[in-house]
Amino acid sequence: MINIVLKEFKLMIKEKGNVFFLLIMPLLFIVAFGSIFNQSSVDSITVHVRDQDHSSASKAFVKQIKSLKGFKVKKDENSSLSSQIKKIKDGDLSSLIVIDKGFEQKLVQGKGTIRFYQDSAQASTTAPIQAILHNMANQYRDQKIAQSLQSKGLNQSQISQTLAPPIQVEQISENSKHVDFMTQIVPGYTVMFVFFIMISMLQRFIKEKESGMIARLQGTPLGSANYLVGMWIPPFISVLIQCTVLLACGKIFYHLHLGDPLAISLIVVSLAFCGTGLGLGLSMIARSQNQGIGITQLITLGGAIVAGLWFPTELLPSFVQKIGYFTPQYWAMQGFQDVMLRDAGLSTIWLNLLLLILFGLFGLVIALFRFKPFIRSAAH
Amino acid sequence: MEPILDIQKLTKRYGPKAALDNVSFSIAKGSCFGLLGPNGAGKSTTMKILTGILSADSGSVHVFGINAFKQQRNVQRQVGYVPQEITLYDKLSANDNLEFFGRLYGIKGQLLKKRIHDVLLETGLLDRAKDPVKSFSGGMKRRINIACALLHQPKLLILDEPTVGIDPQSRNHIFEMIRHLRDNGVTIIYSTHYMEEVEVLCDDIAIIDQGKVIAQGTLDELFASYAQKAVFVEAEGPFQPDSIHAIKKSYPRNHGWVLETDQPIEVMKTILDAQQSELKLKAIEMIRPSLEDVFLSLTGTRLRD
Repeated sequence: MINIVLKEFKLMIKEKGNVFFLLIMPLLFIVAFGSIFNQSSVDSITVHVRDQDHSSASKAFVKQIKSLKGFKVKKDENSSLSSQIKKIKDGDLSSLIVIDKGFEQKLVQGKGTIRFYQDSAQASTTAPIQAILHNMANQYRDQKIAQSLQSKGLNQSQISQTLAPPIQVEQISENSKHVDFMTQIVPGYTVMFVFFIMISMLQRFIKEKESGMIARLQGTPLGSANYLVGMWIPPFISVLIQCTVLLACGKIFYHLHLGDPLAISLIVVSLAFCGTGLGLGLSMIARSQNQGIGITQLITLGGAIVAGLWFPTELLPSFVQKIGYFTPQYWAMQGFQDVMLRDAGLSTIWLNLLLLILFGLFGLVIALFRFKPFIRSAAH
Repeated sequence: MEPILDIQKLTKRYGPKAALDNVSFSIAKGSCFGLLGPNGAGKSTTMKILTGILSADSGSVHVFGINAFKQQRNVQRQVGYVPQEITLYDKLSANDNLEFFGRLYGIKGQLLKKRIHDVLLETGLLDRAKDPVKSFSGGMKRRINIACALLHQPKLLILDEPTVGIDPQSRNHIFEMIRHLRDNGVTIIYSTHYMEEVEVLCDDIAIIDQGKVIAQGTLDELFASYAQKAVFVEAEGPFQPDSIHAIKKSYPRNHGWVLETDQPIEVMKTILDAQQSELKLKAIEMIRPSLEDVFLSLTGTRLRD
């Protein structure tokens, strides 16, 4: 068996594509998506404003928007209003705030109007701007009420008490403070690329079969079980290395909080067992390389979507979330995130580990049942 | 001589088609046994059953007196098998491939290194030990393919078409290796559809066609039993083959005649006597029978058909 393991490792090292597929490609994905999402998380929302009043009141209004954290104002008065509205219709501009001429005068009369043009197709982008506009309108209303109460003889304390909202919302974050996009991207792409080992395993078995090597080995004293285990151990170890490198890169370059080392290690081991177990099963049942690659892509890419490897599972429709429960990727991802985000330990993730091992055992059982027919078909 | 391999009534079917139909033969210790037959005759199936790669439907195989079906591992440890395909790891060096096959038979450490050195020397590829096999020519790969089966020093070596698609130089090298092994007491089974190879290498021969052994014996025995002796004559003048006594059959070939007879010497003497009178003889020779003639005589078709 050790002989087979050594030989497989030598072949893996000689096959440069393995290093690319197992390490470089997932790292490229992590770096690329990490850069994109990290960038978007620090960027401000740009608010396009057209001030046609140029009064002190309109300037104060714009200044108030500017002062809000996460928003920046872009004034554009060179082009005409109609051309800006056309840009919104064409999808080139998501929204525009228009302060009409006479805004200050109307504000004094209590009839100040702001026009908010928006592209309804980009509601997710324009919603925060709409929210701050409503918020600012409420502030103006509060100021007006305060002035009215003051004129009726109430002091500042009484006014504040009157205007205080009856419900106070207190925000308490129960999860850890390490939440960022990298806790989605690093474990997500690590889990996704682990399952690509199935293609490497499939290709190795098909090559062994088609070259006549399996038939030749049957004519030697090598036992069937030794061969099967010998072919399984190298990909298992390579997945352990793959996960270690990818998570270490997350830790070193993106300051990813890994949580309990034992819990993370056990998830990695269970994940490697699961991916390679399924790979072994697939290698025994696939009738051709193309069929095997098709099945692997279905498992890998389909699983990545429904298991929430690319974006948080909470964003998915509930029926898709339910499908995700039947994939090993979901349990691996949830396990990683429980440990990384919520500092969970073994007592929390034991079910995730158990399910990953059961998925792997399922693959191994298939492999054991299908090994003899596979060997027989290789003999001709 | 004591048989080292004894096959009795071996049968293997693939659906309705019989790949092997009651095949029986035995091989004497230290001999080179040729299994000759066209493609699809059942040679590879026989080889694979001997090595435990395929199972037989019925019949028996005894190797070194051991029942090969019951004690497969025991037999496999003493047998070397070289398949028809070149089964090597292309990206690994010759040395790595040999190490791998040596360890399959439990050879390790210094002994393994020595055996690898010896077989590389034997194959003439010692200076290419560290080169990847993919950089080798077809003939060199064939030689390493054989070397992989020699590391455990088998008493019985089974070679399944080991010279397919190689250059004459490599073919000669392989022949030399086989002769050297036989001289050192290794019994060899050599399967091929090249009759010339069997004639050059083998002591005993079995001709197999459509899953059946149709003839077996030494080369001389096969010729004596199945090949017709003949004389070739090329002459100018009024030559009447039918007028010569003891000729069984005659037919033209090239610019002359082939005269089939059981008494070639007498026929040649008759023709030479006739030359002195009216016949102007240009060529006369005794035709040496070939295995091709034997196969033709047995099956009515040529081996290459």
